[in-house]
Amino acid sequence: MIPLEYFLILGAILFAIGAYGVATKSNAIIVLMCIELMLNAANINFVAFGAYHPDIMGQVFVIMTITVAAAEVAVGIAILLNAYKMRKTTELDEDGLTSMRW
Amino acid sequence: MFIEYTWLVPLIPMLCFLIVGLLGRKTPEKGGYIAIAGALLSFIISALIAYEYLTGDAYPEPVTSQIAWFAIGDFEINLGYYVDGLTCMMMLFSSFISTLIFIYSIGYMHAEGARKTRYYAEVSLFLTGMLGLIVSSNFLEMFIFWEVMGLCSYLLIGFWSFRHNDGDAASANAASAAKKAFLVTRMGDVCLMAGLFILLGEFHSLDYTELFDPANIANADSTMITLGMLLVFGGVIGKSAQFPLHDWLPDAMAGPTTVSSLIHAATMVKAGVYLVARGYPLFIQDPEVMLFVGIIGGVTAFFAATMALNNYNIKKVLAFSTVSQLGYMILALGAGGYLVALGMDMGGAEGTALIAAGTAGFTAGCFHMMNHAFFKALLFMCSGSVIHSVGTEDMRLMGGLGKHMKITSITMLLGSLSIAGFPLFSGFWSKDLVLDIALEAGDQTIWFTVLWLLAVITAFMTAFYMFRMWFMTFMGEEGANTQHCHGESPKTMTAPLVILSVFAVLSGFLIMFGLDGMVSFEVTDTAFIVGGGHAGGMVHYFEHLFTNPYTYLTIVLALLGIGIAYLMYAKKTVDPGRFNKHGESGLYKVLANRWYFPEFYNWVSWKFGYGVAKGVNYVDRQVIDGTVNGLSAAVVGGGDTISKMQTGNVHDYTAVILLGVSVLAALFVVIAMILGGM
Repeated sequence: MIPLEYFLILGAILFAIGAYGVATKSNAIIVLMCIELMLNAANINFVAFGAYHPDIMGQVFVIMTITVAAAEVAVGIAILLNAYKMRKTTELDEDGLTSMRW
Repeated sequence: MFIEYTWLVPLIPMLCFLIVGLLGRKTPEKGGYIAIAGALLSFIISALIAYEYLTGDAYPEPVTSQIAWFAIGDFEINLGYYVDGLTCMMMLFSSFISTLIFIYSIGYMHAEGARKTRYYAEVSLFLTGMLGLIVSSNFLEMFIFWEVMGLCSYLLIGFWSFRHNDGDAASANAASAAKKAFLVTRMGDVCLMAGLFILLGEFHSLDYTELFDPANIANADSTMITLGMLLVFGGVIGKSAQFPLHDWLPDAMAGPTTVSSLIHAATMVKAGVYLVARGYPLFIQDPEVMLFVGIIGGVTAFFAATMALNNYNIKKVLAFSTVSQLGYMILALGAGGYLVALGMDMGGAEGTALIAAGTAGFTAGCFHMMNHAFFKALLFMCSGSVIHSVGTEDMRLMGGLGKHMKITSITMLLGSLSIAGFPLFSGFWSKDLVLDIALEAGDQTIWFTVLWLLAVITAFMTAFYMFRMWFMTFMGEEGANTQHCHGESPKTMTAPLVILSVFAVLSGFLIMFGLDGMVSFEVTDTAFIVGGGHAGGMVHYFEHLFTNPYTYLTIVLALLGIGIAYLMYAKKTVDPGRFNKHGESGLYKVLANRWYFPEFYNWVSWKFGYGVAKGVNYVDRQVIDGTVNGLSAAVVGGGDTISKMQTGNVHDYTAVILLGVSVLAALFVVIAMILGGM
């Protein structure tokens, strides 16, 4: 059986990649995808702990998370689409969507 | 059955005010007939109420009824009516004279066009104020109507506010005169309000029934009552144009003559005298207050009469005579009250005698108020008729009008005889009662002897200046404006003159048919009762008046005044210029400049009022506004600065969140290591 640490390290790496993407990428779609990466990193941890610590709740929670994530992406993409229609850009820098602040 | 409807008396003119004000333009005579009908209806209801009350079982106990209005803590404020002998008399003559004045206005205000609507609406509201004040059952209700009248006097004195004859002086400019009247009476009103606060604090109520109850008065702090009544009298000084706040009334002549007539005879200035009479049970608690009241009244009577001596404006002469006559009324109330107050302090048989003597002062004051209302309304309307015909108020441009205006000249002669105190005319009876009571109070203190002397001199001056006015207007050579006068005024104007002249001549006789009982004042251990006194009847007064040597003194002085005026201004055998160095003597100038009172008012306003206003302005703009503006500027500026932290950049937010999460994680690890001992 694969040791638990492996799953945790995989999750940590995925989370770090996601966080890095959110913090550095200027394209809003990539940022959204990075957020999905971070959510899935958390899901791996849920499933791993659920398997090693016999408890069905881990998997149940993952299904819940996936549902919420799907809804969240749908809303996020919808907002982005509208923003794109108005601004013809999905960049998050000063020339792009950031100018909509205040 | 009518007394329950007393509230209708002020309500009907109020409705007229609304109807005329909103719809008057579409009615005939621009609402004039509605105003007349309202005043007449009020008079009829007043008459029915008076008849029912005076013949009813309750008389002379006051009939009162109130509904709760609002309560603050344990102060309960009511609305209601209060009917007694004084109320009846005031209601009757106010509504009656107002009706006649409104009828007269149809002729006098004929040329005003669309502005008539405003005029009739405002006079109706004015009448509401006066009648409401009279029937009020407590001091707060009275104060509200008191202020309504203040507002109406402002509006009506400034009726011709668009006219700017010459300069900004209040005497030449209706807008300035209105402002002056409003501000000067306001000073009195502030005093009155302060006085009412004190009374409310002492009695926990402003209802007449509570305040005039001897048991309640005995429980209250007498110093506070004294202070409160002095302040209330401050309101009277303002409203009734007493020295030193008298100077607004002559300037108020800038309004239409009908308004002057209304202010001087039926409403406004009578309110102050009424307030003294109404508050008599409280006023007589302290002799010093009554002495002060008497001194103000006597001094006013004298001062105002001197200023009328050399004025050339027909309306201003009448205005000064009003101030002077109001002084008489206040003097009578003060002198009588002084005796009553002394008698109450003294107690015993001697005290009872003093009280009995003093209550005549109340009757004299009220009686003179009613007589004055009749003859002053008449005189003003006559002068209005003259002005209407010749188009000027300057008596030097009149003269010889007697031939052209027969009715006006005769009715005005009757009015002048009445005010001058010619025997058997109405002014004679009441004026001699006033002088009598002042002399009687003079037995107790030298002050009233001095005031009596002033009042006697005033009687002489009154006769002189009234007939100076009459001779200058109607006799002698024809003046510049007489030659193209319009002749006699229309019937709507002369008919009220004739009716009023009957009353001006005969109203004095009312005292022989029970009026003295109606406005008598009685002090018992359990109550102060207005009305229900013994009606002395004809014999009593004849005896008292015609066995008194001083009565003959005043008759002689009045005749002397008339005679001198005749020699100077009708026959012109005595040149008035000899006495005043042709207008160059110091005294003449002082009188012509009204004892420099307008200058004094201006000086006080500039030095004191303006200085205070500047200080208040500074505090308001710099301190209060500064604080508020500073606070809001700090909040706005702070918000601006802090909002810059929200860059709107997703990466910055992410960085902050990640940093926070990392710090928290590190913290947990450290805590776990410490606790777990790892």
